[in-house]
Amino acid sequence: MSEVVDDAALVARFPWVQINHDSKHHFRGWLDKQLLINRCDDCSKFHHPPKPICPECWSSNLTPTAVSGSGTVHLAMHLHQGAPAPGVDYAKGAHPVVSVDLDDVPGVRFSSTVIDLPVEEVVIGLPVKLDWVERYGSPFPVFRKRATAGGES
Amino acid sequence: MSRRNPMRDEIAIVGLGSTDFSRDSGGTSAAGLAAEACINAIRDSGIDKSEIDGVVGALEPGAPRANEMSTILGLKDITHHSSPMPVAVFGLVDAMTAIFSGQCDTVLLYFAFTRAPWNSRSAAKDPFRSYLGGMMGGGLKAPPMPESIDPSAAYTAWAARYIHEYDVPREDFGRVALNMRANAARNPKAAMKAPLTMEGYLQARMIRDPLCMLDMDIPVDGADAFILTTTEKAKKLTPNPVVVHAATAGMVGSNTEDQLPSLARHGQHVVVEALKDRSDVWTDDIDVFFPYDGFSIITLGWIENMGFAKPGGAGRFMQEHWDDDLGCVMIDGRVPMNPHGGSLSEGASRGTGHLREAVTQLRREAGDRQVHEASTALIGCGGFFFNSQGAVLKRL
Ligand SMILES: [Zn+2]
Repeated sequence: MSEVVDDAALVARFPWVQINHDSKHHFRGWLDKQLLINRCDDCSKFHHPPKPICPECWSSNLTPTAVSGSGTVHLAMHLHQGAPAPGVDYAKGAHPVVSVDLDDVPGVRFSSTVIDLPVEEVVIGLPVKLDWVERYGSPFPVFRKRATAGGES
Repeated sequence: MSRRNPMRDEIAIVGLGSTDFSRDSGGTSAAGLAAEACINAIRDSGIDKSEIDGVVGALEPGAPRANEMSTILGLKDITHHSSPMPVAVFGLVDAMTAIFSGQCDTVLLYFAFTRAPWNSRSAAKDPFRSYLGGMMGGGLKAPPMPESIDPSAAYTAWAARYIHEYDVPREDFGRVALNMRANAARNPKAAMKAPLTMEGYLQARMIRDPLCMLDMDIPVDGADAFILTTTEKAKKLTPNPVVVHAATAGMVGSNTEDQLPSLARHGQHVVVEALKDRSDVWTDDIDVFFPYDGFSIITLGWIENMGFAKPGGAGRFMQEHWDDDLGCVMIDGRVPMNPHGGSLSEGASRGTGHLREAVTQLRREAGDRQVHEASTALIGCGGFFFNSQGAVLKRL
């Protein structure tokens, strides 16, 4: 399933982000629709965004590890104006941006938008799960509302 | 005070110079604005330009670097020059340490601000500003994502968290904006002087909900410059020089905007502890207070973290210390907060306006807005992530 691209092709697929040797695995994961978070082989701690070493124990033995992307919104804002992107039309309504506490990665947040939900429902505390949309022809990770035990879908 | 602070009261600010802060500087370049401020500061200090042997110029987009500024001003030999990160106290500390350590004796410290093309329609029409797009975008081939949590977006995100955790109304943020606007009306340099009411604040255009345009500093063209030297030399120029009693920057290790541990522990907390440990005076002893206001949430943070109010209590604190006649905060009826109007209403000078006004107040040259016999000023500069800073200034 893995889409094999060399470094130059990877950079070309994501012209709006600065990719380097530390973050290249994370963005290769996007091409495979996998959210990869760096995990330390020596002390098991996760960190994000990707760093050259583990900030906890300074080990260079890091494994980009696929995580579920389920979590809870920790920070939320509704952009009435902002950078342009395909499918984002500020004139039609505010664009939500969230930072999510990831369930299976304690202490790590991942930031993106929430799709298919009225913007006023995108609030701190919202349970979310990961999904993927296409942006500029490449996969882009987003969140959508997640049903909780006993909650509605 | 429990920490070593050998620079205490040893470095003085002896020269002030600035331009007006405007929404359109017309045909003046950032270098032109910087030159005007620098010349004003050098003349104000009474020190001959040949005596300047240090040049520190903040790394603001479009601003001239220290080597360029030395050339523009025709300075002589320079033995310390640097371009520290923006937000005022980085430059202040760099200049102080250069003088204290003997790298040089007299520093020209300057900051120049230029509106980027996306800051206003007139800036967008100026072809000479188009290069700023590439500089500020980090050389990307496409615009950054709307979901990028850059520092400016991150303050909104944490403002939402503040409202969530403390269950406070938007009026708490509005009081910050109202305070700055009322004070700006007393400052001839200020860019925004039109009166502001709470109703006006609540109706202002949302930019990034929960923050509206009045929660965000106002981009301007302008420049500030300072001359620093040893207190020993300053005393030969004036009997009551303004000295830096303590100054520090601070951050937590995990300071990436969206990974910050919490509102209860960030750069401001580190700065407050460091500053308190190095200062003989604190909140009860000060005459004028300068909490940074690049975003209104930052001001709420400084009020609480400096110890004026409990977490979540800054709004109530401002309400309790509100002077209805002046339309602004007067702590205990005596201590104003950003009497120059701050970044929200004087203009986005990234803390240099706060530093300039602190010195102006301690020189007792603030005119209509002068605090009676002001002798001590407390500055909380920068925000939560990696530019939190603080300073205590004193009149000797
Ligand atoms: Zn480790």
